[in-house]
Amino acid sequence: MMTIKSNRPVIVGMFILLGLAILVVTLFTLGGEKKTFVKSFTLNALFTDVNGLLKGANILYSGVKVGTVKKISLYGNAQVLVTMSIENDAESHIHKNAKAKIGSDGLIGNRIIIIYGGDSTGAEIAKNDFLTVEKAVTTEDMMTTLQANNKNLLEITNGFKSISKKIDSGKGTLATLLNDPSMANKLNGTVDNLQSTVANFKAVSASSKNVLASLQDFSGNLNKPGNSMNALVTDTVIFRNIKSTLAQLEQASNEVTQFTVNLKTTSEKLNQKDNMAGVLLNDPAAASSMKGTLQNLQAASHKLDEDLEALQHNFLLRGFFKKRAKENKIDTIIIK
Amino acid sequence: MIPAPEISETKPAEKYFISKKTDVFFNDIYKVYKFIALFFKEAFSAPFEFKEIINQCYEVGYKSLALVSLTGFITGIVFTKQSRPSLANFGASSWLPSLISIAIIRALAPLVTALIAAGKVGSNMGAELGSMKVTEQIDAMEVSATNPFKFLVVTRITAITIMLPILVLYTGFIGMMGAYLNIHQNEQTSLIAFFKSAFGTISFLDIFSSIFKATCYGFTIGVAGCYQGYNAQNGTQGVGRAANSAVVLAMFMIFVEEMVIVQFVNAIR
Repeated sequence: MMTIKSNRPVIVGMFILLGLAILVVTLFTLGGEKKTFVKSFTLNALFTDVNGLLKGANILYSGVKVGTVKKISLYGNAQVLVTMSIENDAESHIHKNAKAKIGSDGLIGNRIIIIYGGDSTGAEIAKNDFLTVEKAVTTEDMMTTLQANNKNLLEITNGFKSISKKIDSGKGTLATLLNDPSMANKLNGTVDNLQSTVANFKAVSASSKNVLASLQDFSGNLNKPGNSMNALVTDTVIFRNIKSTLAQLEQASNEVTQFTVNLKTTSEKLNQKDNMAGVLLNDPAAASSMKGTLQNLQAASHKLDEDLEALQHNFLLRGFFKKRAKENKIDTIIIK
Repeated sequence: MIPAPEISETKPAEKYFISKKTDVFFNDIYKVYKFIALFFKEAFSAPFEFKEIINQCYEVGYKSLALVSLTGFITGIVFTKQSRPSLANFGASSWLPSLISIAIIRALAPLVTALIAAGKVGSNMGAELGSMKVTEQIDAMEVSATNPFKFLVVTRITAITIMLPILVLYTGFIGMMGAYLNIHQNEQTSLIAFFKSAFGTISFLDIFSSIFKATCYGFTIGVAGCYQGYNAQNGTQGVGRAANSAVVLAMFMIFVEEMVIVQFVNAIR
């Protein structure tokens, strides 16, 4: 019994010490969380509205907690001076061109200060500096926008209401479409036509598919070395030959064109009477004169023929003709 | 023979300042004031009963640890379970640690510990001192040149005043662990994330106000228990009444103090 009693001070001591240890750990954890034991400096910002920001609220820079709100006081003409306690480690990261705004910790959370922006073009922030403030979108602003949206919705629904009334009363095309049974039949017909069109399209697309497959094969063959088409497509010598041939063809076509032009000029001249051929072709008087001349020539040649026949029988030339007939006879025998 | 004069059976009518009950009530308040004044006088005057204080600390603090730990653990779990649906409706289950830490550290830990201590320790003090009073042990101590007030009352009140804040720290810690257990089961939150979130919303003032509250509650339980026991009358019935009154008075005063201290802390927050 005495042993137990003598142990009591030890147990009580341990009990108290453990309790105090819990207190100390709690205080240090809380201090670490609140940055109480961290060396800090002061920054200021002038807001027109802090939206219920409280002393001790967190300050985030790029989403990282860098301090807490130290003091909130009214300043000048309806402005609020917020004094912030920022840990020294963040001093080198925040620049003078950084901005501050009031934010929210979650949708319905406590108000916080958000420091954002700023780059190396601005100097590093110094103690007791004033940050530029930007007005953040508040819940009230959102509600105002929502109210405007509500009004728009009301107008839209009113519009729909009047449209539905008109439809219900049978006015307009839409009402006819909805209420007239003949329109339904026409629509059915249209849908049937559309169906058949779609079926045709389907068939066409199937054919196109085949054509495409053939084209694909063809292009495959074109790409396959060793065949004539591939050689045609890929051989640069042939291409050069074709090119020169085409050039020659072009030249020939130019010449043909020139020839055609000449031919056209000639034909045009032939249609006119200011030249010999034109007179021959177009002048009827010249034609009848020509006809007479030709008749005369025919008569003259007939007479000449008779004269020459007479000459053959003349004793001066008869020997020549007999000799020639003999030579012809010999040639015929040799050929046979 | 001269007849003997008749002795009147009726007592002379007592005069009260307001009424009997009202006068008794104010008289009790005065007696409590005198009791507390005597406590401070004896507490800060030599000789100091350190051994008995440590003995009482063991009885009051260490022996209550299991009970308050279990109570705190269950409180943490149950409060978390009950709070989850409300927050889940807002999609804010991640705020549970913050809510639980505010509830346990600011209010539940001191209050639950104090109520448990009032039931266990307050009744024990009332009954113990009451039985010593009715069995005249206290008178015997006075005769034996021992200051019974210093030895019995000062030590007990001092012990519970010191031990209750320590018990509150244990209760808070165990309650938070109970809450963590439940949150980890449901939200798979890590211990670090839980405590980061929990400590994000409370302040030093919350912790110091809890300790201050616990000190006040401890003193109240001690004073109520010792006063009722030290002034117990009418034999064993008086012992029971003293124990009962000690608990009822202590609990009532705890709630009154809670209200006053919360108002005071919120005013300076």
